[in-house]
Amino acid sequence: MSSQSAQSAETELELITQAQRGDRRAFGELVRRHREGVVNVVYRMCGETNLAEDAAQEAFIRAWQHLPGYQPRSPFRNWVYRIATNVALDALRRERETVDVDTLSLAASDEGPETTLEGKERGERVRQAVLALPPASRAVLVLREYEGLSYREIADTLDIPIGTVMSRLNYARNRLRESLAPCLEVL
Amino acid sequence: MTEHVTAWLAAYHDGELRGLRLRQVETHLAHCETCRTELEALQALTALLQESPVAEVITSPDRFVAQVGLRLPRRPVQPAWQRTLEAGWRLAPVGLLGAWAFGQAVFFVAGVVTGALRMGLGGDAVAGLLPAAQQRLWLAEVFSLSNVGLNDAGRIMLRMLSNGGPLGWGVTLHLVLSVVIGLLYCSWLASWWARRRHRTQISGH
Repeated sequence: MSSQSAQSAETELELITQAQRGDRRAFGELVRRHREGVVNVVYRMCGETNLAEDAAQEAFIRAWQHLPGYQPRSPFRNWVYRIATNVALDALRRERETVDVDTLSLAASDEGPETTLEGKERGERVRQAVLALPPASRAVLVLREYEGLSYREIADTLDIPIGTVMSRLNYARNRLRESLAPCLEVL
Repeated sequence: MTEHVTAWLAAYHDGELRGLRLRQVETHLAHCETCRTELEALQALTALLQESPVAEVITSPDRFVAQVGLRLPRRPVQPAWQRTLEAGWRLAPVGLLGAWAFGQAVFFVAGVVTGALRMGLGGDAVAGLLPAAQQRLWLAEVFSLSNVGLNDAGRIMLRMLSNGGPLGWGVTLHLVLSVVIGLLYCSWLASWWARRRHRTQISGH
């Protein structure tokens, strides 16, 4: 059996246990498995690919540092997403100029429904509308709509009550329905 | 027609409803045009959100893993004595429970033996083994060695002491042991909570 197939056969729990003992190779395998998800979570939160990659790496480094304290009661993915969300929020605080919320809102409302929106342009409009949400609501929306986490998993990941998850999600969706009304009418 | 189910539509859309509530919403949706339109709006929004482009990751997976690997700080290796201490801390509740169970067993056996002696099952020869008699003899010996003269009040105090206070030695010791174990367990819980809180704060929130 090749070393690569042997690696893929290792269960996540085994990898976590080995990484907790300081095995960098096992941690590297965990990074490989969760890289895409973490980068996407951070990207949805930040809106910049370069920033997302940096922040995703930062999230994995933070995960490595605190891995001995991780207890596999909740899935490793949720734990890393939690760290990634916080790293993204920190990155956003440092780079507030990344998104000008007022400009985005105006841009979204100026366009009439008659405007023809190409797929790419519409995708970009959606991305900007999501970025214009308050970070707390955006985090909940990203984990639900893009990562498919359940309310309970989101609550555990962000350490907030389920009721707060629901209210933030409702708020985010209502805001998006307003700001993306022209796009929704085209659909 | 039943009341609108607008408040539950998002949860229904996200597949979070179960049982009676799910059936209630489904039944309502079958008859209510307003709620169906609202649900379709939620579905349209979800579909639209998927049109947002995913991150165009420039770095290949291998390179990404290598970059993370290079940035990983050296994690200090925990010395053996710290690992032992940590294991001891984790096993502390079991130890406390064991100590409490042991104490209960000792008090139970002592109670049975004392009861048997008091009923005269062991005869006069073993009557001196009764705890109260032993304590009285021991304290009287102490006072006689130190040449302390006892008046009536002193004798009453001596009797109180020899009986282990108003509750008796057995009950007093039992109470003290239970309180001490309870306090130790509460301290352990408090430190567990503090450590958990510390770790939660470290990982972000």
